[in-house]
Amino acid sequence: MNIVEVQEVTKRYSNHTALNKVSLSVREGAVFGLLGPNGAGKTTLIRILNRITFPDEGRIIFQGHPLQAEDVSKIGYLPEERGLYKKMKAGEQALYLAQLKGMSASEAKKRLKQKFEQYQISDWWNRPVEELSKGMQQKLQFIITILHKPSFLILDEPFSGFDPINTNLLKEEIMNLSREGATIILSTHNMTSVEEICNEIALINKSQKILEGNIYDIKQQFKQNTFSVEVTNDNRLDESFFNDIFQMISQKEGEHTTSYVIRIAEGHESNELLQKLTQDCNITSFAEMLPSMNDIFIQQVENFNKEHHAE
Amino acid sequence: MQNKTFLIISREYTTRVKKKSFIILTILLPILMAALIFLPLLLVMNSEKNQHSRVLVVDDTEIFLNNFEENDNTTFQYRSGDINQLTKEAFDNDEFDCVFHILDNSDGLVSNLYYKETIPTTLQSSIESQMNEIFFDKLLQDSLHIELAEFEKLQDLTKVNITAIQIDKEGNQRENDADMNMIIGMVCGFFIYFIIIIFASQVLRGVLEEKTNRIVEVLISSVKPMQLLVGKIVGIALVGITQFLIWVVLTTGILFGIQLAAPNLFQDEATTEMATEMANAPEMAELADGNIFQAISNHFPISFAELILSFFFYFVIGYLIYATLYAAMGSVVDNESDSQQYTMPVTIPLMLAIITVPSISTNPNGQLATWLSMIPLTSPISMMVRLPSGVPLWQLLTSMAICLLFLIFCIWFAAKVYRIGILMYGKKTSWKEIFRWLKSA
Repeated sequence: MNIVEVQEVTKRYSNHTALNKVSLSVREGAVFGLLGPNGAGKTTLIRILNRITFPDEGRIIFQGHPLQAEDVSKIGYLPEERGLYKKMKAGEQALYLAQLKGMSASEAKKRLKQKFEQYQISDWWNRPVEELSKGMQQKLQFIITILHKPSFLILDEPFSGFDPINTNLLKEEIMNLSREGATIILSTHNMTSVEEICNEIALINKSQKILEGNIYDIKQQFKQNTFSVEVTNDNRLDESFFNDIFQMISQKEGEHTTSYVIRIAEGHESNELLQKLTQDCNITSFAEMLPSMNDIFIQQVENFNKEHHAE
Repeated sequence: MQNKTFLIISREYTTRVKKKSFIILTILLPILMAALIFLPLLLVMNSEKNQHSRVLVVDDTEIFLNNFEENDNTTFQYRSGDINQLTKEAFDNDEFDCVFHILDNSDGLVSNLYYKETIPTTLQSSIESQMNEIFFDKLLQDSLHIELAEFEKLQDLTKVNITAIQIDKEGNQRENDADMNMIIGMVCGFFIYFIIIIFASQVLRGVLEEKTNRIVEVLISSVKPMQLLVGKIVGIALVGITQFLIWVVLTTGILFGIQLAAPNLFQDEATTEMATEMANAPEMAELADGNIFQAISNHFPISFAELILSFFFYFVIGYLIYATLYAAMGSVVDNESDSQQYTMPVTIPLMLAIITVPSISTNPNGQLATWLSMIPLTSPISMMVRLPSGVPLWQLLTSMAICLLFLIFCIWFAAKVYRIGILMYGKKTSWKEIFRWLKSA
């Protein structure tokens, strides 16, 4: 079941269209990567999902009904442009923001104490936010975002500004939340983390969705039947090995082994290559080369831009 | 939903009230004001009581010879001769503190007061008034051949005293005191002006703070922009009211306390003179009369309730009008220095209102006064200035109605602009664009 369906959403500003008939659906329990270059319209879409702005056309279906004001309490939102009241004490502030999300003061306080401990910032409860380091402020913001146990989380560039240790902490937390059943939309430019934690993505470029689906499916869709092969140097592949079916894309000689990138012609299976290889040489490694999300992102965006520039 | 607005109000209120600057300003200001008024008086009184001045009078006209009255603080001696010589002797021998030279001049009286070290400020004025009296007495005797005492008797006899009595529709008579009306009106007007300036700009800064902090996006994913706006404006209004009440209580307490402790403070002639000299502030004049409370309560030309209610109305509505407009402007810009160009159209009427206070108070029913007390951006100040002198009821009600209607417009305007403005970063928003926002749903 889909927790969110974006249906033909269009949003225009005075001098440009931020979203142009964008439709996408987010499966319940998914970690959904919302990708796209800067200025593609991601933030606008996220704001619409949070009812901060409203679409000019189209609608948002949330848990089977049109998105309503009450639904906002089920959403946890970490904006890209995020900040805190600098002079307010960390604990007091978190308590205030949690209450604004509809939590009772006592409940919020209980959970906050627990989270502060978990994130090792308990000592900072009574300190004004301006005295906290940037990383600590971001932890605090993340705690505030997830405190009311939202079933639907929207994280806009959650990793920006985090050091590697905190990035990992955050990733683990996101995975935990996902395991507990939360649906998460993750908007980020960090493609490595997309591959690590997302299972579905949508790619938005120039106000339009240009790609959507399961990461595995997408990679299958864009794979080019290339394989990376590594063999020992005593039995290297010679020219005669390659033909119309097995094309060598590249070759790299090492001290003990040589690696090749080989493309298999359409209609042929990887097993055929493997069989042929086992006859000729000692294989040390054999793997299909799937395109990285990074490659797909760049390729898709560039293709799209070329097409639209040509128009 | 209501609950969230209340949460916002309470945050806006408590964070401000808990600030050190608020506590200091709220408690210190009345004390400072009191100190500013009373300390110089006390200092002058004490120092002058102890300072003895020996004055050498060199009177070329011989009119004033032996005529100056001595008292505990001042002694006079009379000599004649070359002024330079006498002055040198007087100061060299430390015989005198100052030398007062009255020149024989056909054009009138010309006199110089030479001194070496400081002399009491009251000495000069005391000599001046004595000279006036003596000279006047001499002229009376020389030209009209009457004694000063006789003249004063005549003066008393011919003294005219006008009591202005206002008669209202029911035929009730009320004694009216134009000066007092002016003073009350000006005080009310200035007060509303300061409230607007101080607290409406706090709203602007609060909105800006949330925007530049980037916390606003988190906030409006939880509450409606309107709730945030209302919470801020009401919260800050409550801060203002709190501060005002504390000021009133403290100032009253301090004034009352001082009056109890030193009942004669204001009757002293020297200090009265000082007070009038020091500041022509209306409060000072009243203080000099002896009792500020009596002064105010005695002189209400319009009903006390009417004045208080109107004051409260213009105080609240005036604040709300400016606060909503300032909030809208604060949401449009990214930093405080930019905000000025947007608040300008709103600030100019405010300036106009405050600049015209003197002319309105002298002519409270003139054209300028009537018009400015109708225009909603100036009326909270202008109408309050006019009100103590009596304003036709229909004018008051019309002004209030216009104010309320304008406030509704301001709320609509602010809601439209604020909602969009707080999410706009980076580029400057043009007025044209703001008007486009107004048209958007």
